[in-house]
Amino acid sequence: MLRFTVERLIGMVVTMALVSLMVFIIMEIPPGDYADRYAFRKYSGTGISVTAADVQAIRVDLGLDRPMLIRYFDWIGGIVLRGDFGQAFAFETSVNKVIGDKVWLTSGILFATLILTYLISIPIGIYAAVRRGSAVDYGLTVFSYLGLALPNFLLALVMLYFANRWFGSDIGGLFSAPYRDAPWSLPRVWDMLKHLWLPAVVLAWSAVAYQIQTVRATMSDELNKLSVTAARARGVPEGRLLLKYPARLAINPIVSTIGFDVNRIFSELPIVAVVLGLTELGQLLLRAYLDLDMNVAGAILLILTFAIVFMNFLSDILLAWLDPRIKLGA
Amino acid sequence: MSRLLSVENLTISFRTDEGTITPVQDVTFAVDKGRTLGLVGESGSGKSVSTKALMRLLPRTASLGADTKMHYTAKDGQVMRIETLSDRSREIRALRGGEMGMIFQEPMASFSPVYTIGNQIIEAIRLHRPMSKREARAFAIDMLDKVGISNAGARIDQYAHELSGGMRQRAMIAVALSAGPALLIADEPTTALDVTIQAQVLDLMRDLQRELGMGMIFITHDLGVIAQVADDVAVMYLGSIVERGPARDVIRAPKHPYTQGLLAALPSLDTLSKRLTPIPGEIPSPNARPSGCPFHTRCAQKIAGLCDRKIPREVVPEPGRAVRCWLYDENGRAVA
Ligand SMILES: Nc1ncnc2c1ncn2[C@@H]1O[C@H](COP(=O)(O)OP(=O)(O)O)[C@@H](O)[C@H]1O
Ligand code: SF4
Ligand SMILES: [Mg+2]
Repeated sequence: MLRFTVERLIGMVVTMALVSLMVFIIMEIPPGDYADRYAFRKYSGTGISVTAADVQAIRVDLGLDRPMLIRYFDWIGGIVLRGDFGQAFAFETSVNKVIGDKVWLTSGILFATLILTYLISIPIGIYAAVRRGSAVDYGLTVFSYLGLALPNFLLALVMLYFANRWFGSDIGGLFSAPYRDAPWSLPRVWDMLKHLWLPAVVLAWSAVAYQIQTVRATMSDELNKLSVTAARARGVPEGRLLLKYPARLAINPIVSTIGFDVNRIFSELPIVAVVLGLTELGQLLLRAYLDLDMNVAGAILLILTFAIVFMNFLSDILLAWLDPRIKLGA
Repeated sequence: MSRLLSVENLTISFRTDEGTITPVQDVTFAVDKGRTLGLVGESGSGKSVSTKALMRLLPRTASLGADTKMHYTAKDGQVMRIETLSDRSREIRALRGGEMGMIFQEPMASFSPVYTIGNQIIEAIRLHRPMSKREARAFAIDMLDKVGISNAGARIDQYAHELSGGMRQRAMIAVALSAGPALLIADEPTTALDVTIQAQVLDLMRDLQRELGMGMIFITHDLGVIAQVADDVAVMYLGSIVERGPARDVIRAPKHPYTQGLLAALPSLDTLSKRLTPIPGEIPSPNARPSGCPFHTRCAQKIAGLCDRKIPREVVPEPGRAVRCWLYDENGRAVA
């Protein structure tokens, strides 16, 4: 297991390095560079005419005249060594300031959604498989079809309506008014959690519907395995038997798609965020693109891809732990 | 000799999409302590479901007939009425593994691929013996050694797919025996193995059964295997037992036309030169059981107008033998 983990860890680092290089190249694609935009912003409307030499001076000053590879290492070095994502152009402050809070909020929503999805779909899928053909099982199947058919934003609107009626008007956004700009504190976290469940439920909805069916199908297969009958024939109590033998393998397909789930949540988040009045990374990314603020856009892209690569790593490790054949084959 | 298990009128039905089927009907047999009953019959005759019923391992869609009686005398002398036990009772869990052990045809599939062999043996031991983890592990290694697995101390931490077919089946035997059952049910344990390995595993099972004084039900579709391992034999055809008796007597002088047919189809040294005579016709499907004697569609000696109409009763043509065939039931024929 140790060897497998180390191998996957190396794989993850290599992937992240390649991904960061790709992100850097994407940052370089728009015409002009930071110096052009900096000069334009600083001197436009002041009546001072900017010469090419001025821009070049800024460029040298900021080190932008160096070869691309050097600048890449400069950029990624700052991120890895100092957690410094550089300067945000449009906001005249550091990238860290611009994205800081939103990183935490987005990861909060992300993890809440993942945990909610798995916490609901795994036990229910297992239960449905064990009680296959019962009324409960049929009920869950109907729910699954409904869940898959309902668009996220519609669900978000409906939930928002009911949440407003039941929990007061302050349910949109991620904070109640008193905490919106307050510094982090325990009550502020609690306030955030109270708001977090709504986007998490909306984002988890279709995933739950889908994953229940996945777990149910694999669990049904696993239940019919001879090894399960053999374990029953040596007197293993039923509850322990279900967890130890079929359930352990039934969650494999879920674990192996954690990376996909993260990706899906990121891409569904912006529209849900608009409806629920949240500002998260996705929207910021869009705005940064429009402003050609490539340092901000690059930082967000990098964080998103790193998160997906890391979750894939996690899912590999979990999978190998659940099914030792995987690491033996590797 | 004392009775270990007696099964009377075992009838098993399944609810299916096409309606109810009854692949086992009125099956009666017994196993004595320390003796081996060979259960023989073609594939689909109901051998596996009959023995699964003994351990209450049938799926939810199965139901037992109202007259079914399965009485088992436990190691402490108490008689368990298996048909009345509830699926989740403590009694049934003690019975499974602790009183009856089961070995299956596919040793690979019998093991979970995600736990080591040791994990699964130690689980069985600790469910039925008051042992600590450490004691159970030592016991498991002894058991693997006993079934002829070399280097048991290392093998115990391997997975089933790391062993050869024969070794896997030996390991499965170790799992079943480690819980100390008084009755071992072996469902075609050698069918999936290479011929040379088959003989070794067969020898091993016979030796262990004698050494431990266990009762055994040995399922096979091969009468030749019965001759090697069984004291008694029950011949099954389409969900009914058509003949039972001491294995040697039945093989030497079969009474039921089906048993006679099976023996004629068996290759042996003196028949190698001659052509084997397989039983003509196909085994009917269990959901289209013929009326009357189930074998009448293939029987050369059938009595027209009787065999295809009325189910023969089990009669005792001579002490110790039992057969379900109108040929041996003169009184019945007279009445019918
Ligand atoms: N779960 C089940 N549902 C419906 N029918 C079954 C089921 N299991 C077994 N049967 C029926 O019982 C018959 C006997 O099966 P089995 O006991 O496995 O035969 P054998 O072991 O003698 O080859 C099969 O032909 C099949 O029709
Ligand atoms: S009862 Fe009739 S059909 Fe059945 S085996 Fe005997 S002779 Fe043949
Ligand atoms: Mg069978």
